[in-house]
Amino acid sequence: MSSSEPSTTRDLPMASPSSIPAEAPSSGGAQNPIRDAISEAIAEHKVILFMKGTPEAPACGFSARTVAALQELDVPFAAVDVLPDPRIRQELSAISDWPTIPQLFANGELIGGCDIVTEMYESGELTQALA
Amino acid sequence: MLTVEEIKQRIETAIPGAQAEVEDYTGGGDHFRATVTAEAFGGLSRIAQHRLVYEVFGAEIGGAIHALSLKTQVPAQAPTH
Repeated sequence: MSSSEPSTTRDLPMASPSSIPAEAPSSGGAQNPIRDAISEAIAEHKVILFMKGTPEAPACGFSARTVAALQELDVPFAAVDVLPDPRIRQELSAISDWPTIPQLFANGELIGGCDIVTEMYESGELTQALA
Repeated sequence: MLTVEEIKQRIETAIPGAQAEVEDYTGGGDHFRATVTAEAFGGLSRIAQHRLVYEVFGAEIGGAIHALSLKTQVPAQAPTH
């Protein structure tokens, strides 16, 4: 039995097709529910990973490697699958100014993608960055 | 399809003084790995360093370039062998 909390896969409202507005603006503006939901998720979770697939079934090697680093450190994290709706990825990248997936956030800040997370894991810096 | 040489030249042209080592790790012309050494990275966070390189390619990242794995460093950090 593990004492650590299991990772949670967060369902953003936008992941449910019925809640996706027919027309979502792709940039700025007051009416951007997808972007708002992403911002809220980043603010609400101490550590949150936007990835392809789920922690249990990553759909990309880079996402898998990032999940593995977090699991290795036993850090609880929320995870959002960007694949169900291409707009998640689009809006996320607009918020973070980061073009690729996965993207790891801690305490509201972008920590990095797979390369940076792996480098920080190997150097021992990751634990501190997620604290 | 892009070549290793094109990626290298574009990085080195866009970031003054940069030296890039680029590898096409699947051989398919769309998954690359680059180690970029530049004085311009001095004082920048890793995130900011990587952004400088990603900006060279804009929307091609995720388009023609499926993956660009990066390692960035300032010259002092470069291995001396």
